[in-house]
Amino acid sequence: MPQNETIRDLGLDEYKYSFVTDEKPFFKAQKGLSEEVVRQISAHKGEPEWMLEFRLKALEIFYAKPLPDWGGDVASLDLNDIYYYLKPQDHMERSWDDVPQEIKQTFERLGIPEAERKILAGVGAQFESEMVYHSLKEEWTEQGIIFESIEDGLKLYPEIFREYFATVVPPQDNKFAALNSAVWSGGSFVYIPKGVNVDIPLQAYFRVNSEQMGQFERTLIICEEGAQAHYIEGCTAPSYTSDSFHSGVIEIIVKAGARFRYTTIQNWSHNMYNLVTQRAMVHENANMEWVDGNLGSKLTMKYPSCYLVGEGAHGEILSIAYASDGQHQDTGGKVIHAAPRTTSQIVSKSISKGTGRSSYRGLCKVYEGAVGSKSNVECDALLLDETSRTDTYPYIEIDENMSSIGHEASVSKVGEEQLFYLMSRGLSEQEAMTMVVRGFIEPIAKELPLEYAIELNRLIELEMEGSVG
Amino acid sequence: MAEGTMTGDTRTDTESAPAAGADAIARGLASYVRSVYEPTLLTRLRREGWKTFVDTPMPTRKAEEWRYTDLSTLEPESYVPVTCEGERLPVERLPEPVREAMESDRDRAGVMVRHNGCLEHLRLDSALEAKGVVYAPLEEVADHRPDLLERFLFRSDVAPMEQKLWGLHAALLSGGYFLYVPAGVDVEHPVHAFRYLDQEGSVVSTHSLIVAEAGARVTCIDEYVSPDLERESLSLNGVEIFGADGATVSYLAVQQYGRGVKHFSMQHSNTGRDSTLNGFNVTLGADLARADVTSHLEGEGARSEMLALWFGDRNQHFDHHTLQHHEAPSAHSDLLYKGALTARSSSVFRGLIRVAEGAQLTDAYQTNRNLLLSPNASAVTLPNLEIGADDVRCSHGASVGQVDETMLFYLMSRGLTRKKAERLLVFGFFEEVLERIPGEGVRSRIRSSIETKIQAR
Amino acid sequence: MSDFRTVARLEDVPPGTLVPVELDGEKIVLAHVGERVYALHDQCSHEEYPLSSGELVGDQVTCVLHGARFDLETGTPRALPAVRPVKTYQARVEGEEVQVRIG
Repeated sequence: MPQNETIRDLGLDEYKYSFVTDEKPFFKAQKGLSEEVVRQISAHKGEPEWMLEFRLKALEIFYAKPLPDWGGDVASLDLNDIYYYLKPQDHMERSWDDVPQEIKQTFERLGIPEAERKILAGVGAQFESEMVYHSLKEEWTEQGIIFESIEDGLKLYPEIFREYFATVVPPQDNKFAALNSAVWSGGSFVYIPKGVNVDIPLQAYFRVNSEQMGQFERTLIICEEGAQAHYIEGCTAPSYTSDSFHSGVIEIIVKAGARFRYTTIQNWSHNMYNLVTQRAMVHENANMEWVDGNLGSKLTMKYPSCYLVGEGAHGEILSIAYASDGQHQDTGGKVIHAAPRTTSQIVSKSISKGTGRSSYRGLCKVYEGAVGSKSNVECDALLLDETSRTDTYPYIEIDENMSSIGHEASVSKVGEEQLFYLMSRGLSEQEAMTMVVRGFIEPIAKELPLEYAIELNRLIELEMEGSVG
Repeated sequence: MAEGTMTGDTRTDTESAPAAGADAIARGLASYVRSVYEPTLLTRLRREGWKTFVDTPMPTRKAEEWRYTDLSTLEPESYVPVTCEGERLPVERLPEPVREAMESDRDRAGVMVRHNGCLEHLRLDSALEAKGVVYAPLEEVADHRPDLLERFLFRSDVAPMEQKLWGLHAALLSGGYFLYVPAGVDVEHPVHAFRYLDQEGSVVSTHSLIVAEAGARVTCIDEYVSPDLERESLSLNGVEIFGADGATVSYLAVQQYGRGVKHFSMQHSNTGRDSTLNGFNVTLGADLARADVTSHLEGEGARSEMLALWFGDRNQHFDHHTLQHHEAPSAHSDLLYKGALTARSSSVFRGLIRVAEGAQLTDAYQTNRNLLLSPNASAVTLPNLEIGADDVRCSHGASVGQVDETMLFYLMSRGLTRKKAERLLVFGFFEEVLERIPGEGVRSRIRSSIETKIQAR
Repeated sequence: MSDFRTVARLEDVPPGTLVPVELDGEKIVLAHVGERVYALHDQCSHEEYPLSSGELVGDQVTCVLHGARFDLETGTPRALPAVRPVKTYQARVEGEEVQVRIG
């Protein structure tokens, strides 16, 4: 399969991306978190005064908020043992040729420019704390689309930026949103003008390379009325013995009649704490979809949310989690129905293997007055070993009687009969098991762009190796 | 009365409350303990409960278990513990609702009536007595068979967030019964207890201890009734059920308190090898009713069926917490909780299926359905799973919605008024739970209570 | 419609501050911005937290608990996680007194 050869180069499986690039950073802040570090970040970015004030305020909020006492074991992450800011070069490139050789090699091994040439409308690449590359195809620039690093968004479009920034995820929202607000660096600023339909995806790639590195990207996306776009992010890092930390904040505003899809394929190394706040505000008759694939990391806590604030808004969350030995995927989604005739759907599939643990955590809230709202939640968990574990924690809060809300969840192991049947058709036990798991994730895999879907299947195959016997 | 009062220091600051309230309760408790003769076993359990209560902080809404029911407004010291003095009332002088209820079910193996915690009436089929069945007040058993009582009383594994109230319940214990069914004995008819409360501003704390030895079979019904009260009363209740190997216990609690009552029921069933528990809860009364229903499936092949229904009106708040704890392999549990809400009432269902490591071949199901009949009613449902074994079949489902419009229009097209059609659909909704309730008399009384609530809409 | 009634002395509501007051059992937060005093129901529509412990940012009030923001004039939410408005009341300054009209 020649197609598979190039796809393999995208490097989603951990055997491919475990390499380390020999970096020579332009600037590296001292280890640990302090007001000084926050001031340094702001100074290096040449920010306006209000942003520095925003950061310092957020730092106070971060110190004041307690760690969550639910979800995964966050307490074992030593927040003082992390580098909060590492600037790989002194400016961002718009031409791939100008990106420093070492960093370029990293992304070439991950297949980024190649992917861009083939299928994407625009590509951003973040290395450590900064976007090192950001480009948008000319045809889209002409239509008024903005696809910039978040820093350039603030510099070049200060008014739009300030109007929306932190209105979807304020720093007070949770401890890690506060942390991100204090030390944010990198991420994308995306603006899709009214009525523009970007029919091929925009993609951002996030790479953490150094040991004990913290990455705090911040993305702000505004999808104007009737516009359409799809944004994909992929994340990888090499494995170290010490822990790394990724805590992003994604804010999306989907205006009336617009459609937006945000896809994450997270394949961080197994020493990564991945604590992310992703939230969209969805207006009248707009449509927001989160496709969330969590395969890597040591602990992920991530619940993409749709705040359905306009009549007829629709939110959809497709979530797939794979937890193998030592991993805890605490994922799910939130839908908040705050306007009449809003609809939502959450489909979650998780697989736990070895000592892995996957937890679904979700919220469905219907406010009084959100008449005619409908929500449906389905969670399926597959357990592969007697040591693996799964939990389901949905919160359903309904204040409107003229609504209809359903939630179903099931837990199962791979059925003996299924295996027996497949094996009677000549498959080995290993192959049969893999086929069952593939079938299980199929409803979500088919929502992924082709190359990711194939890669996901490949990854499952690799993970399943040695799972039998 | 003054001596028994707990109305001591009025709390202003809920955070520092336990110490201040503790004093007042201690005084009330001391006088209560002095006023009744009590065997040492109960006094010891009372003091242990008391210590737990004092040492445990009052749960706040920050605790998941108490997120939707605010305990900070509960002031245990503001209620007067009930005391029992004087003679028992003859049956004909029992409160009207109790007599009516007693007459509605003819076939009973035993009956007990408590009025404000005090024993007024007790009867057990003499044939059963001859077979070694015990149905007696806790204090009596503590006197004659302390060894037997000590094996079971307050022996359930109580979750940390339940301990504050469990401790208070033990400390203020104002009566309870012990039902003991020896191995192999089959008690054909239900054993029925009525608890009637009409003392204004009081706290009553009742306990039901049910033990079925190997292969025994028994059905047990507890009913809670009161008129509307002017000054709020507090009802605490503990239930412990122990089913030994192969035993079958059916347990039904029907709560139909009037206004002005807060009711906290903590129910623990412990089910042994191949033993079956059928548990039912019917919640219709009180302003605030909270039930913590825990099923410990301790023996291989244990089975637990958990059913409940509630109908909330005015500003009633019902909070049901359940745990299906699969501690042994090959056990089966099935939960179905259904609630309808009208006016400004609200309900919470929080249910957890927990499958321990090694509890292979578990079958566990959990369903919560909510019907919202008015724009101001609200429901919260939290069906949780924690699965630590892989060879299991577990699922849960939850829904919140209104009566089926299509059905409604169909019935109305057949000439029914909207109100009548709705009534029919509400009963249709409850039917799968109602039809499994043991005891024809009690079942029809539940139906008519629901009927009254529907009519009052 | 009831009348304006005095709820505070102006000197007790300095510019740039949020001050909680009560009128007929209604919890109200006064916000003094520039020349104007605003009055809102003193409870965030997200999780029932008092807005008076929040902070003023321009013509908006931010709830300290999760960062929800509301327009002082209309009570409209301006930042998540709040999605519903907060009730506002008519307020005016009469000489040295702050007056509010409820109901």
